[in-house]
Amino acid sequence: MYSIRQVVGSREAALETALVLRQVVSKARFSNIQQLIAVIREVGRRLAEAQPKEHSVGNTVRRVLHNVREEYNSATKGATGASRNVYSISKFVLQGQPRKHTGGAAKSEARITLKENDPSDPDSFARALKPVLMEAIQDVLDELETVYDNVSKNAKDHIHSDEIILTIGHSKTVEAFLKSAGHYRNYTVIVAETAPSYQGHEMARSLSAAGISTFLVPDSSIYAIMSRVNKVILGAHAILANGGLFAISGSLLAATAARAHSTPVVVCAGQFKLTPLWNLYHEHGALDFADPSSVLGFDEGKLVERVDVVNPYYDYVGPELVDVFITNDGDHPPSSVYRLIKETYDDDDHEL
Amino acid sequence: MFELVQALNDSAEELKRRSPNPISLNAGCELFIAFVTLFPHESDNFAELKKELEQQGRKYAAEAISFRDKIAELALGFIKDDSVILTHSYSRVVLKALLHAHKTKRISVYVTESRPRGLGLKTYEALTAAGIPCTVVLDSAVAYVMDRVDFVLVGSEAVVESGGLINYVGSNQMAIIAKAANKPFYALAESYKFHRLFPLSQYDLPTHNPNILSFSTPTARSAGQDSASTTVASEASEKSSANKGTSSSPPERAMTQEQIAKNPGVDYTRPDLISLVFSDVGILTPEGVSQYLVGMFAG
Repeated sequence: MYSIRQVVGSREAALETALVLRQVVSKARFSNIQQLIAVIREVGRRLAEAQPKEHSVGNTVRRVLHNVREEYNSATKGATGASRNVYSISKFVLQGQPRKHTGGAAKSEARITLKENDPSDPDSFARALKPVLMEAIQDVLDELETVYDNVSKNAKDHIHSDEIILTIGHSKTVEAFLKSAGHYRNYTVIVAETAPSYQGHEMARSLSAAGISTFLVPDSSIYAIMSRVNKVILGAHAILANGGLFAISGSLLAATAARAHSTPVVVCAGQFKLTPLWNLYHEHGALDFADPSSVLGFDEGKLVERVDVVNPYYDYVGPELVDVFITNDGDHPPSSVYRLIKETYDDDDHEL
Repeated sequence: MFELVQALNDSAEELKRRSPNPISLNAGCELFIAFVTLFPHESDNFAELKKELEQQGRKYAAEAISFRDKIAELALGFIKDDSVILTHSYSRVVLKALLHAHKTKRISVYVTESRPRGLGLKTYEALTAAGIPCTVVLDSAVAYVMDRVDFVLVGSEAVVESGGLINYVGSNQMAIIAKAANKPFYALAESYKFHRLFPLSQYDLPTHNPNILSFSTPTARSAGQDSASTTVASEASEKSSANKGTSSSPPERAMTQEQIAKNPGVDYTRPDLISLVFSDVGILTPEGVSQYLVGMFAG
């Protein structure tokens, strides 16, 4: 249906997903909320299966589902409210003390009248709800559009003058973050070249073009220069529920070296990378492998026959190696990532 | 209303006095009392409210039965095929999780003997009966076995506000060894075991009393000599072998009841040693537990 393979990069994939879902919702015919959720889920599942390693697709679907339910609940509250005052012990454990209702829902906007499963006019429900839903999806889109700006909003508070920053790979988020800090501060960036994809070259070029003093070093010297580094800034492919992350291979090396020197490790990533997954079976990278020919090309014909070449694309960096996550939704320690995930997605969407 | 809370507090005290193990009991009592005090109600007369509260209590008790299944389901995702698991003593929720995992995955389990009550043997029997390969190890062999283990799974008496764990004695050393060996240490706890307590050390636990770990004045007159301790021990072993009747083999050395009484029943595990807490409200980091406790009791 929709080929995600043509889209590269987590944010692009997330954006594309949100656009597709918007189209789906606008075209969908449904007469109650369950039907709509099922439709979104179905599409979401197919999208996620098209590229299972791109977690941001699934995340965006979950986000949209969450927002749709939220809109639905707030729209129907006027009709079914009041009578819904069941409070049980398990709810008490889950949600804590009951909040005092602040004088009822005295919102000025006129409530839409929603009639579910109206047999005479089955489309009335969809017609009434659609504008709100489109708005909800638009929110997700807007957030994705502005993600780089919002992540790098506070960059100058994290990077100080004359600091030396180490980064690896070419993360768009980190690039925006460093450039934003460059407007206010004079500092130095050391970029590891990130073999074998050499994305670091691209990053170094881009940063130095923005007027930031930049050094490019081979990956093998990361440990040696770590004693001079003030901060390590990493990008992420996906942030997992335990506070660990998948990042370009070499990140684990940088994070471990940073730990040995007690250098802070900062991860910059958009909220859409929060993934409701625990690192279960992926201790050794995210099991995503890139083209081995960039490690050992076919011009080394004799050798290629005799050795197996693997080129793992991602590292798994554990939560104990990370000091802080800087997201478009504020700064968080690894230990509270699971809570962010609980707030961002609905529990029953974890498996699409 | 005040009287009701008073009565609840009194009966909770009474229950505590009669139970040999008040910590988890206390957690449950406090939960219910907090719920009663904060229950938002519109009923005009007291009898109606009372009925409502009673109903809620029963409903929760009925729900609570299913919590262990939920935890077992959550834990399943963390148990991979061919896992070797170390567990401690006997815990119904751990047992449930292991049996549940056994349905779909090949697992093998080391369980500690868990002296002095030897409850590890109960776990051993239950697991072998279900066909899970299981070996009992000495409490003192935890460090020896740790390298063979993929992760540690323990139950709990209570999970406290710091995110730490109160469990049958020996859990703490297990967590320390697991940390040293870089193995995950998972605790399973139903949410009614979240306990509003903030112990800073082992000796802050409500179960601690001055008798635990106290020194007795040595009975042998030759105190200070090397033989002092051995005479005490051999006296004890003589007594125990006398109880068993005559035996020609060298007497087995075991602790006397008085010696056991000077030992703690439960210990406290610091939150930084715990990887995750599995609970029916979800998979939490130790810090997450305190969030739920603050939600219920603070404010």
